[in-house]
Amino acid sequence: MLRPTARVAIINNVKDSEITDQQMSEEVKQTTYWKSLKELADNKEYQKFAEREFPENATELTDGVSRRGFLRVMGASVALAGLAACRRPVQKILPYSKQPEDVVPGVPLYYATAMPVHGNLVGLIAENHEGRPTKLEGNDLHPASKGATSIFNQAAILGLYDPDRSRYPLNKGNKATKEDFTEFAATHFANTGQRIAFISDPNSSPTYNNLKEQAKSKFNNSTWVTYEPFGEDNVIEGNRIAFGSRLRTHYNYTNADVIISLNDDFMASTHPNSVEYAKQVSSRRKVTDTNGEMNRIYAIEDSFSLTGSYADHRLKLKASEIEAFTYALAAALSSRINGLNAFSGYSNQFSDHKWITVLADELAANAGSSALSVGSQYKPEIQAAVAAINQALGNTGNTVNYLDVPHLDDQNNNQAFADVVAEMKAGNVDTVVMVGVNPVYTAPADLEFENALSNVETVVNLSDYVNETAKKTTWHVNHTHFLEAWGDGYSYGGALSVIQPQIQPLHDGLSEIEFLNVIVNGEMTSGYDLVQNTFRGFFSSGFNDRWTNILHDGVGTTDNFNAVNVRLSSDFASAMNQATSNVSATSGMEVVIRPDATLYDGRYANLGWLQELPDPMTKITWDNVALMSPATAEKLGIREQAAGKDITDVVEITVNGKSIKIAGWIQPGHADDSITLTTGYGRDGVGRVANSYMDYTAGGVNVYPLRGTQNMFFASADVSNTGDTYEIACVQDHHSLEGRVLYRQATLSEYKENPDFASFESVHTYPLPGLGEAIENGDDDGPISLFEEQTFPDYEPQWGMAIDLNSCFGCGVCVIACQSENNIPVIGKKEVKKGREMHWIRNDRYYVGDDADSPQAVHQPVPCMHCELAPCEQVCPVAATTHSDDGMNQMTYNRCIGTRYCANNCPYKVRRFNFFNYPKEYLTTGDDPDIIQMAMNPEVTVRFRGVMEKCTYCVQRVNRAKIEAKIETGSPKPADGTVKTACQQACPADAIYFGDISDNDAEVARMKRNPRNYQMLEELNTRPRTSYMAKLTNPNPALA
Amino acid sequence: MSKYQYVPEPALVKGDHDFSSLTRLVTDINLRPTPKLWYLAMLGANALLMVMVVAIGYLIWEGIGIWGLNNPVGWGWAIVNFVWWVGIGHAGTLISAILFLFRQDWRTAINRFAEAMTIFAVMCAGVFPAIHVGRIWVIYWVFPIPNQMQMWPNFNSPLLWDVFAVSTYFTVSFLFWYVGLVPDLATIRDRATDKIRKVTYGIFSLGWTGSNRHWWNYEKAYMILAGLATPLVLSVHTIVSFDFAVSLIPGWHTTIFPPYFVAGAIFSGFAMVLTLMIVARKIYGMEDIMTNDHMEKMNIVILVTGSMVGFAYIMEFFIAWYSGVEYEKAIFLLRATGPYAWAYWTMMTCNVLSPQFFWFKKLRRSVGFTFFISIVVNIGMWFERFVITVTSLSTDYLPSSWDYFSPTIWDVLTYVGTFGLFFTMFLLFLRFLPMVALAEIKAVIPQADPHNYDEETNEYVAPIVEVPEPQSEKV
Amino acid sequence: MSTTKDQKLHGILAEFRNPKELTDVANKMSSSGYSKFDTFSPFPIHGMDKAMNLKKSKLGWIVLVHGILGFTLAIAMMYYMSVIDYQINISGKPFFNAPAWVPITFELTVLLSAFGAVFGMFFLNGLPKLHNPLFNSERFKKATDDGFFACIEAEDDMFEAGKVKELFQEAGATHIEEVYE
Repeated sequence: MLRPTARVAIINNVKDSEITDQQMSEEVKQTTYWKSLKELADNKEYQKFAEREFPENATELTDGVSRRGFLRVMGASVALAGLAACRRPVQKILPYSKQPEDVVPGVPLYYATAMPVHGNLVGLIAENHEGRPTKLEGNDLHPASKGATSIFNQAAILGLYDPDRSRYPLNKGNKATKEDFTEFAATHFANTGQRIAFISDPNSSPTYNNLKEQAKSKFNNSTWVTYEPFGEDNVIEGNRIAFGSRLRTHYNYTNADVIISLNDDFMASTHPNSVEYAKQVSSRRKVTDTNGEMNRIYAIEDSFSLTGSYADHRLKLKASEIEAFTYALAAALSSRINGLNAFSGYSNQFSDHKWITVLADELAANAGSSALSVGSQYKPEIQAAVAAINQALGNTGNTVNYLDVPHLDDQNNNQAFADVVAEMKAGNVDTVVMVGVNPVYTAPADLEFENALSNVETVVNLSDYVNETAKKTTWHVNHTHFLEAWGDGYSYGGALSVIQPQIQPLHDGLSEIEFLNVIVNGEMTSGYDLVQNTFRGFFSSGFNDRWTNILHDGVGTTDNFNAVNVRLSSDFASAMNQATSNVSATSGMEVVIRPDATLYDGRYANLGWLQELPDPMTKITWDNVALMSPATAEKLGIREQAAGKDITDVVEITVNGKSIKIAGWIQPGHADDSITLTTGYGRDGVGRVANSYMDYTAGGVNVYPLRGTQNMFFASADVSNTGDTYEIACVQDHHSLEGRVLYRQATLSEYKENPDFASFESVHTYPLPGLGEAIENGDDDGPISLFEEQTFPDYEPQWGMAIDLNSCFGCGVCVIACQSENNIPVIGKKEVKKGREMHWIRNDRYYVGDDADSPQAVHQPVPCMHCELAPCEQVCPVAATTHSDDGMNQMTYNRCIGTRYCANNCPYKVRRFNFFNYPKEYLTTGDDPDIIQMAMNPEVTVRFRGVMEKCTYCVQRVNRAKIEAKIETGSPKPADGTVKTACQQACPADAIYFGDISDNDAEVARMKRNPRNYQMLEELNTRPRTSYMAKLTNPNPALA
Repeated sequence: MSKYQYVPEPALVKGDHDFSSLTRLVTDINLRPTPKLWYLAMLGANALLMVMVVAIGYLIWEGIGIWGLNNPVGWGWAIVNFVWWVGIGHAGTLISAILFLFRQDWRTAINRFAEAMTIFAVMCAGVFPAIHVGRIWVIYWVFPIPNQMQMWPNFNSPLLWDVFAVSTYFTVSFLFWYVGLVPDLATIRDRATDKIRKVTYGIFSLGWTGSNRHWWNYEKAYMILAGLATPLVLSVHTIVSFDFAVSLIPGWHTTIFPPYFVAGAIFSGFAMVLTLMIVARKIYGMEDIMTNDHMEKMNIVILVTGSMVGFAYIMEFFIAWYSGVEYEKAIFLLRATGPYAWAYWTMMTCNVLSPQFFWFKKLRRSVGFTFFISIVVNIGMWFERFVITVTSLSTDYLPSSWDYFSPTIWDVLTYVGTFGLFFTMFLLFLRFLPMVALAEIKAVIPQADPHNYDEETNEYVAPIVEVPEPQSEKV
Repeated sequence: MSTTKDQKLHGILAEFRNPKELTDVANKMSSSGYSKFDTFSPFPIHGMDKAMNLKKSKLGWIVLVHGILGFTLAIAMMYYMSVIDYQINISGKPFFNAPAWVPITFELTVLLSAFGAVFGMFFLNGLPKLHNPLFNSERFKKATDDGFFACIEAEDDMFEAGKVKELFQEAGATHIEEVYE
């Protein structure tokens, strides 16, 4: 596939006044679109029509087989399995009356847009097929993306087509229109004197923040709170303590030789700036030759995080011990560098810990080129201490910047939120306006937000789903998806972007700026105008060109937050003395509450892709569990899971009075006497995917009840084994490599001594059997063979892939990207439990090392190896899987009869079988199949029941590139880099290289020449085209 | 006195039988009115058959997912049952062909019986490869039939070899069986009194007259068929074993498979023949023909083949260790100690231990005990196939993909159902066809030999068994 | 039994007591030069071929031809399908993948040979032949039970009803009858 050339989207913002021919035709398209959507809006005629049209669907709908029922429940995600190959429902479309510019049917268009993640924008490129976005990719030009994405970015496309999205405003639970709401707003908010509480998601949009200021000034009795369950407030507050002003900490790991994470999982998708950070960190670990150097990463954490698994050294500490550890480190440093006098002389239980000395020396040695960070949920004092250390080390300006972010409130929002809720409870609030937030579900339990809400007369909210909060409102307005509405905003680091809609709103609705505008100005103004107005302010001159450019590039100026030249504030010392004087660590059992790796705080809970994406560390799908160390498990009597049957004991966890029951799970490397819980599960009435179904025992447990204002992050808890059991769908049963050399690694120094450490001979101590004999016979392709192997034509490109294990940190975005690109169905917990997951690329996670209590965790993505001598091919009785001239192992779906022999004979176990007709069931039993079908990639066949499927190296992209190359150059060999597989394109660590290995200059060919390159199971002589580059670690000799 | 005593062969037919008494003994069964018991048995068999039909129907309706299969374990009970039934289907042709070539006249008592069993067993076996595919409605693509895709089957695939091997085996066994039947059908034709029997048996006996000119070609044909069937029998299970041996999955990729599968097949085949024979001969009063001597001979075959199988198991282990391939070593250790150890040790006990009792003549000749062992052996042989198929798949190269297979109710029902098919066919056979090769058994009683008649009077003279003079021992 | 003009004589059928007598009479018949004669017994009788001096059966050749045919067909089919008609790269194996073709070649060879043996035998024996004049004789039914019969056909050049009956009597036939078409 060619790099997306972003184009200005003029599809959705046509003003009747300025309709050109070309836009006219767009209009035609829209109107037809509108019609079909109107029909969708559950009106009887359509239902009848549908039943007449597809009788088999009608029967499906009345079919009550429980599994079917479950699949039906799967709604959107599942439906993503998509356009059933055989019985495709007929959809009426109108042809363009005039062929619009740029639109060639069948040829996708790429437009730039941006996705708000916790209020910060990540630049994206949306792939559009005939006016419907089908895939999101990173935007090379955008600093927070650099062409890569996080799992949440990839899954957003599913969010757009989720049939469970709220479809219309609700007035006291009754269906209404947005006109009704506008009417209500105009009258209700005319009274500017009333006591209004605004509770909003963080939002970097300048337009939004203008309106916010207007609101504040217009409603003089109003209070504005920004609430984010896992926000950055403590960090900002910490910086205030350290430097006297509320600043955002923005790291630049490209300059960091030493990175220390104090329980800060900054590489995982849950971090608002994960993509940029992952890019930066991994870019410093690309070792191409023996002169290469690497950064060194230390992780001190309680639960095993992605950052921890990527680190060179990992120390497990209870979350509550990090504070003492931080101060001890600061104290140790105070004797080595200036600027930390506040800590000089201080000591605690960690002061003579081996790590403290090592880290202190390491930091001192790398002053200015090191980066220290602490988990954003830790209290401000710890943040301040860390900021001070970075400052003292002179890292500020090199590896870390403190950004002055205009739209940040100058209040501690956690505190402010608590106050506002108190006010509401006291009945001192007339109206609550909630933008995006879902506090009924996410607010700290001890605030009893729900009660508080009941004391408020008028409650207005804007949200994507009719969620826990929306159910309690007087007015709920359905929120448009960011791909449906105009918007703007800044990236985490301050790059300005415009959010460009890709499609007319599927269910109408309001964007947050339109919503707020209605409330403030009592009238409906299109988001397009609001945004343009803002930018007219920015672009005083030459507006049209600059506007066009920012739409085209997807990013404007990148340095809108200026890095403040900070100095330690005068009362920092006293603050620290106070903090250090009462350091407390929970003595007994403690529970830690984190955002879930795949559902975050619950906002992504209805996205089946993310529900079924195995947790990067535990490999669990569809549930959350209580993670604990083996020792703790033994103490609690939690048994190791039995082979194949992930039945596990249920524990009861009690935190000041409130208790929940949740499945216990053993996590090697977890801190002892500590239990990690993740949020987002145990939903009720949100969506058919998110909801927890006791009859299917899926959906997990809501852990927010354990979260209080005083223990937002961790708390001491009583934990007991209930003796009940619960079945978990975990995609990986076996966590040890059994001493097999499938995953190869060495330290940097070992690599420099022996660059070939990863070769078969060096890991096995004997040469590859049969290779010698082969070479004697003048054939060095591989071990000696009975056959005269076929050779590949040199006029064809020869595709190959190299996966750099030194870059991969296991985030799993490749899995979601692949799922989105290749129409891979979501099959549900029941099927996953049976071991039938469909992902074409999976991320194997092994625990290595002798120490069972703190092992090393390694990640190994496994797509199809596209073996040249593929064992799967020769066993197929009907030749349904064969080899192409460009060296791909192809799967011919419509020839496959489904003997599953190929899957049996695949040593890498990458083949996936359609045990049921997943696509058809999802397509015809989910409601609104039409909506679901719109997310399909029209270039990829949807697989039918009973056929085998597997990674194709994104053959549809490859072939498009070949065709284009042939048109342009006459040769089917595309230039290097013009074709990227979905997994490669999404990867924030650039771990995947793909290209023509017959081209010596191709990047992938260079990588394969790297001595680190090795083939998995080389001795089988399958000659895989996908090879791995062995991992390198950069341990500190002092800790060896 | 000598150490060595010449033991004359026991008479093949016990009791004082002449040609016509034998005729009556065998063919009366088909001519008598149907006994109540038969209807009862048929009812049971049909019920089971229905179970199979339903199980397969639901499978076709819902998809392979109703079975317990998962990602590493793509083959489960279906293939296990297939191999098991095919194995059983080996005794028949073996008894008729190989024993015929070796001039083992005692085969005549049981060969018809065993051949019938073979055919029905192969039918049951044939069910599974057909239904275990994901898209049953296009199963015919495995045959080289011109189609709209202009594609041909892949002749490199052991599964395709199977298609040819099993169908050939079925056809040839069937012909062999039918050729044997023709003279006996003629016998029933000539004894039948009612029109229907006269006509039907008349048609199927093709107008056989017993002409010795015909017998001359007939014997030739039978000999050649035996000569062809012998390598065929060996080839079929060899090729079935290729399904595993040709793959590269540790525990499958084993060169010892062909001989060891064949031994196993004979092992289970004879066991099954015994199970059926012991019941049938009791019910139909055939003790004179299917004597304990036969039973003992067959028990000896079971003992021998059982020990061969046992040897193969041990050899597998040794080779796994000797090869030094870590994956091989791992899989065999996992079989004996891993999650499927229970299956492995069941197999060991049933297949290796239980036949060893047949070292004792007393047990070899004990009807009850033989019956018991014959069933134990077949249980053991089912587990052998289970161990090979499932354990190898569930724990192969990449530990990350290891997963445990457990069957669903539908796996079980499909298997149980095939017994319905088997017994339905078998009951029909017992009722309507002579269960003993009449012409052949007549030919082996002494009266059949012209030399046993007095030259002058042409009267029958029972032959005298000559016991040779004991040779004086050489020092 | 009554001989009527319109009925055409098929031959003279004689019954004997046991295999020995049948073998002896077979000897007599062949030695006295009859060619269109036959003996019938419920089972093949050892040494009967010599007694009747039957020529070696041609069946072997028929089977051989079929075997060769099967072998060639198999090879030809696989060669056409995977080398000539539609070449597919499968696991990088050569299109003409001899080792892999052995099983199918073998099976087809055996299959066709078997056909040759069975249908060849029926052909040589002129079966199926659902009507046979001999079936007109009630006694002849014993031929498939415990009866031993000899028959000399009227077709035979040397056939003279008197002589034939005489021959059978001397041989000690227990019963002699004329069989009509």
